[in-house]
Amino acid sequence: MSLEEHRESVPVLNFPRQTFVSLLVFAVCWETLSHLAPYLGIPPFAIPSFVKIARSIADITPIDIVVTLARVIAALIASFVLGVAAAMAMYRSETLDNYLHPMIRILMAVPVVSWILFAVLWFPGVEFRIGFVLVVVCGPVFLVDALDAMRGVPRELRQMMRSFRPTTLQYFRKLILPAIVPTIFTSWKVNISLAIRVVTIAELVGAVTGIGHQLSVAQELFSVSDVFAWTIVLVALLFLLEALVARVEARLLRWRT
Amino acid sequence: MTEGQVLGPPPIQVRGLRKVFRQATSGQAVVAIDRLDLSIAPREVVAIVGQTGCGKSTFFDMMIGLEAPTEGTLRIGDKSPHSDFDFFRGRIATVFQQDRLLPWRSALDNARLPLELIGVAEDEQRKRAMAWLERLGLGNFVNAYPHELSGGMRQRVAIARAFAVQPDILLADEAFGHLDEVTAAELRETFLALARECGSTAILITHQLEEAIGVGDRIVVFGKSAKLLADIHVKKWPKAKHAQLREAIQATLQSNKPDPRLHDPRGKPKRGKTKR
Repeated sequence: MSLEEHRESVPVLNFPRQTFVSLLVFAVCWETLSHLAPYLGIPPFAIPSFVKIARSIADITPIDIVVTLARVIAALIASFVLGVAAAMAMYRSETLDNYLHPMIRILMAVPVVSWILFAVLWFPGVEFRIGFVLVVVCGPVFLVDALDAMRGVPRELRQMMRSFRPTTLQYFRKLILPAIVPTIFTSWKVNISLAIRVVTIAELVGAVTGIGHQLSVAQELFSVSDVFAWTIVLVALLFLLEALVARVEARLLRWRT
Repeated sequence: MTEGQVLGPPPIQVRGLRKVFRQATSGQAVVAIDRLDLSIAPREVVAIVGQTGCGKSTFFDMMIGLEAPTEGTLRIGDKSPHSDFDFFRGRIATVFQQDRLLPWRSALDNARLPLELIGVAEDEQRKRAMAWLERLGLGNFVNAYPHELSGGMRQRVAIARAFAVQPDILLADEAFGHLDEVTAAELRETFLALARECGSTAILITHQLEEAIGVGDRIVVFGKSAKLLADIHVKKWPKAKHAQLREAIQATLQSNKPDPRLHDPRGKPKRGKTKR
């Protein structure tokens, strides 16, 4: 085994064991604390035992998971399409880039909470509000990443492609878009994590369905076990979506291996 | 086969060609090509030699049509490769210094790229690209990605890509300079044979005099700002005198003036008058 292979293999081999150990230690500490809580002056509901958390997980309503997942996926697809389309337009037109670039920077600097408040004040429909917040947060990330990647396509490849005289559409389809695929996957991974967090906050504030809404209900009921259960679901959703993206990435970028 | 090839490739006429760039930082004008006149007949193989920075690559870009002349004209037949950019789709093909293959495409998909751009049906694209790859000895590597191929093999794919459309005009910019001598010589031979077989006009830009003498029907020597220092018809030089030719071109490039030996290919080298 070469040194490089060894270097690559070490974290992969150790990762599951280390993860398992750290999770086990955390679980033991938590469970111990949940039993010791009354003696330590901590309210009993604050640190629920795993039995209680398991009961909360069993009571989870799948429809709320489906609703949140649908919102996240729909918003990510819309953000992706709008972001890449805008990036293509800005790549083609320097004038457009000069006008839009400052606006994009401002959009990205606005806090998520402000967007949620704007959405509540501006739009009557819950779904539109949530969709708006997600797109306005995730869209610019796709745009900026895609635009940077387009500009990073090597000059040599651009010259080669232009020497064969493609149409504008062919130029994008055959060169620019395939060239930015690796960056786009990184952008998707970043945005999935961002979207999960943003959708939860948006649902917490203005929705009557979804995981965020259920977290709000759990808070009103002082049910830490329910908060814990829904949080586990959110983390699992994030890992699931990331794994899906990684699978598609491995398939589409197999030319790199 | 393109329409142009039924009639044969058109002649190339360069008249008073001038290209001036303005430096981005200082705003100073840089004359890359200064009033170049050059004619290239159909199916000729012309090697352009010159020192680094003499305007060879600018001329190459203008031949492709990526740069517009500041003054003068560059016409292929009755059209300009820059103003009539789309007309030359599938009629001009290029081989660059590096292979410039698309890393996400297999050898076959790279070779069929120009055919996709001119709208050839997919089955036909594959058939033609496969045939060219097989002719270039890559029949067993059609599904390999560029990073799985050697430098020579990648350049073969680039050559297959250029020939796939059977272009009227073939342009090669230092296409073999980065390869080892044996591979480069082999690829040069293949390139030349294929160009002649396709009936294409071929323009090779090179800094290697051996390559220019070995490949070109003509050798055009560029001085500073693409000043035409010499236009040599290689066939007029017997093989035995190729060493002398190389020396004369070398002297021309070094002095930026035409060497007198270039005017007398079959005679003995001129000597100064002797005093009696």
